[in-house]
Amino acid sequence: MQIESSKIDDVLVVMPLEKQIDASSAVDFKEKMLRWINDGNNKIVLNLSQVDFVDSSGLGAILSNLKRLGTDGDLYVCCIKEAVMNLFKLTRMNRILKIFSSQDEAVKVLAASNIKG
Amino acid sequence: MDFIKANKLSNSKLCLQESICHHLRYSLGKEWKDRNVRDLFLALTLSLRERLLGKMLATEARHQKAGAKRLYYLSMEFLIGRSLGNNMYNLEIFDVCKEALQEMGVDIEEIREQETDAGLGNGGLGRLAACFMDSLATLKMPGYGYGIHYEYGLFRQEIDNGYQKEKPDYWLPNAVPLQIKRADEACIIPMYGRIEHITDLAGHDNPMWMDWKVVIGIPYDIPVVGYGGETVNYLRLFAAQPSSKFDIEIFNKGDYLRAMEQMIESEKISKILYPSDMLETGRELRLMQEYFLTACSLKDIVRRYLKDHKNFDQFSGKVAIQLNDTHPSLAVVELMRILVDENEVPWEKAWKITQQTMAYTNHTLLSEALEKWPVSLMEYLLPRHLQLIYEINQRLLKEVASIWPDDVNRLKRMSLIEEGEVKQVRMAHLAIAGSHSVNGVSALHTELVKNSLVPDFYERWPERFNNKTNGITPRRWLLKANPLLSDLLKQTIGDRWVTDLDQLRSLESYAKDISFQKEFLRIKQANKCRLQKIIFETARVNVSPDTLFDIQAKRIHEYKRQLLNVMHIIDEYLCLIEDGVEPVVPKTYIFAGKAAPGYWAAKQIIKLINNVGKIINRDDRVKDMIKVVFIPDYRVSLAEKIIPAADLSEQISTAGTEASGTGNMKFALNGAITIGTLDGANIEIMEEVGKDNIYIFGLKTKKIQEINRLKSYRPLDYYHRHKGIRRVMDALQGDRFCPEEPGLFKWIFRYILDQGDSYFHLADFMSYKKAHAKAGKEYKNSSLWAQKAILNVARMGKFSSDRAVSQYAREIWNIKPVQED
Repeated sequence: MQIESSKIDDVLVVMPLEKQIDASSAVDFKEKMLRWINDGNNKIVLNLSQVDFVDSSGLGAILSNLKRLGTDGDLYVCCIKEAVMNLFKLTRMNRILKIFSSQDEAVKVLAASNIKG
Repeated sequence: MDFIKANKLSNSKLCLQESICHHLRYSLGKEWKDRNVRDLFLALTLSLRERLLGKMLATEARHQKAGAKRLYYLSMEFLIGRSLGNNMYNLEIFDVCKEALQEMGVDIEEIREQETDAGLGNGGLGRLAACFMDSLATLKMPGYGYGIHYEYGLFRQEIDNGYQKEKPDYWLPNAVPLQIKRADEACIIPMYGRIEHITDLAGHDNPMWMDWKVVIGIPYDIPVVGYGGETVNYLRLFAAQPSSKFDIEIFNKGDYLRAMEQMIESEKISKILYPSDMLETGRELRLMQEYFLTACSLKDIVRRYLKDHKNFDQFSGKVAIQLNDTHPSLAVVELMRILVDENEVPWEKAWKITQQTMAYTNHTLLSEALEKWPVSLMEYLLPRHLQLIYEINQRLLKEVASIWPDDVNRLKRMSLIEEGEVKQVRMAHLAIAGSHSVNGVSALHTELVKNSLVPDFYERWPERFNNKTNGITPRRWLLKANPLLSDLLKQTIGDRWVTDLDQLRSLESYAKDISFQKEFLRIKQANKCRLQKIIFETARVNVSPDTLFDIQAKRIHEYKRQLLNVMHIIDEYLCLIEDGVEPVVPKTYIFAGKAAPGYWAAKQIIKLINNVGKIINRDDRVKDMIKVVFIPDYRVSLAEKIIPAADLSEQISTAGTEASGTGNMKFALNGAITIGTLDGANIEIMEEVGKDNIYIFGLKTKKIQEINRLKSYRPLDYYHRHKGIRRVMDALQGDRFCPEEPGLFKWIFRYILDQGDSYFHLADFMSYKKAHAKAGKEYKNSSLWAQKAILNVARMGKFSSDRAVSQYAREIWNIKPVQED
């Protein structure tokens, strides 16, 4: 899976470039994210602006990354399309993730959070 | 923007001819000289389709403009039958189509015979849904049917050596090409998975539905035109399709076959309509179907609502959902899930919205037909829904306990969960708890629902319970099914009865008019001749239209007591050949109906009818005084030909078992006189037509309840007391009617005499026989008979589905007609 990443201050912004995070790409996505976390990135913004569909494996992968970060880090999500948001709501995933409409806002809030980078 | 303005198509003869030729050439790619009947059927249907779609779009625009509250009728069954003729009648273009085709050298009847029935239902419940669709559109109400787009309808019935054989009903290739696939409105439906509890951002427990699989629901819309053609609503049927996303992993692993199997697995959901005996056997696929229907429907309904609204405050003011029996009752939970989980509406508010939106129709008193699903299956298939059911139950029981403290038994009785070896979810309790209205389908049935079926719920919420006696659409069941009688009625009292069936009352003054009677009987005779031909073609039995046509056409079931009918025929036969006592009039006993494939006793009854027919029809001593025939493959289009030909209508269920019945209404509307018990809507038919114009027999419900309570029924006493009964039972025990398969019907003897005769065949037998004798005697007096039959027609106004739907609209749904400006 192609994922674009960039660092803004101490926040890692990751943007999957494929339209779907599903059974075929979820494992790859999860592992790449884990690598970043293991490399010490504990403030991550997941930009889903390019993603049209996330199936339950994709949602599971996001959840797994969030759990991996634990209380020492945080994962914010931004730029979710309506169809993907509906899937977040279906699983109630939207209630455990901070979701922002713009990347800038997400980065700003996460950068200012108490979490030590 | 003139180019997008609706292009109104004319219904003139010439325009119709042009449309037919246009579709033959440009839709079917055929030259006129190469046409066959099938092509013409398709070309005619496509010509009607474009007229229907134009009106459907206009109707939708009107509903939107008016901001109308909409009714969604959720039903696992819609027994539509054929559509082509009905559409022509309701568009009021039947005659012009007939003429147009005639000029083109085509017989319209030949074309109509090309159409296969859409048999997407088992019987009464599904046909009621179809009649309601017709009435909603005729009454110009914003009402839509939501169901499943089954690939296979109810099985086709063939009779082989007297036995029912089931054949698949792959109806789609020969159906009218009316439906519109709405791929752009597909719904994503999750199933299976597990619940993971994680604390949310606010520090609360957050149950998350993870690892689900997805099935896609594709809507297909079938236009439903009301009489007069102003309103065209639609029936939306969902077909299951695998999600392309869902199988990728397996494909990627190179396991092509497993991936294909999974795809087929998802498509299975809308593959077949379950026959009625298999609904309650805990089949996973059936539960998937019920969930699939409710999830697709709710997704669609909510999506439409949210187009015009930002929150759910007005939901119940804009949406009414009727649950046709418990089959779609998961809608209660699904709406709660959408509100609470997806839209974060607080529980109490969501529950209020749900209750104000949902209404539930009960259709059965038979306890074995009350749906229950194992908790384990529910948890496996719908883990989040089961959690919500537990939450609903906990709140319900808390409330009940606060009103009736220390009444543990009441809590057990009312719980949504039935404890026991296999814990089960009681779907009727779920539907009642989650609805603002619970209705029975006849006055008697509603009383029994309140006082016998769910008395605890009635005590808790008496205001929710109400009656809506079933009805039938006069368009299909008189105007279309009986054109000769319809023409006579139009000539005599005008045509207002087509949309206001109470107008038939004015026929009363013609009941004693000899020339009207003559005409009425002539039409009955013509309808009998039409059926005579069908009987010969399908059952190879020659019957005479000069005999009394005594007809029992309905699903074969013990409670409907086709067996009682056969026992009476056997008695009549034995009286004739052994005692030399002839029936008062020569009679043709006609049966039709399907038995559920796994229902052994019902299939045996079909075999018995056929065997009794075989023996009697071939016995020279009978001299054609009695004939018995079983017409195979009962379905809507066949019913339309059988019913107008009936003299006597058999409605003989054990009192307290038939919720309403609608066959009883169809027969009476077509001038048959009912012989029946005081059961279901028979009681109200009697009230309407008068006691002198119906043959009532048998024990009443209260008496049967008392006998059951006291356990005082001893069928053996009847056997010993009445020679006639003894002779019939002995004949069944012996091999008189099964010489080639000795002992075949011995079970009936044991079933009745040793196993308690739970449907009271013997207790009602003598009274039934007496009623038959009276009917036979009165039939001999043709003027008296005609008078009674005419009064039956005249007094059927109450049983129009227009009346029923108007009542639902006013008292439950709160929807109103939306008229053209």
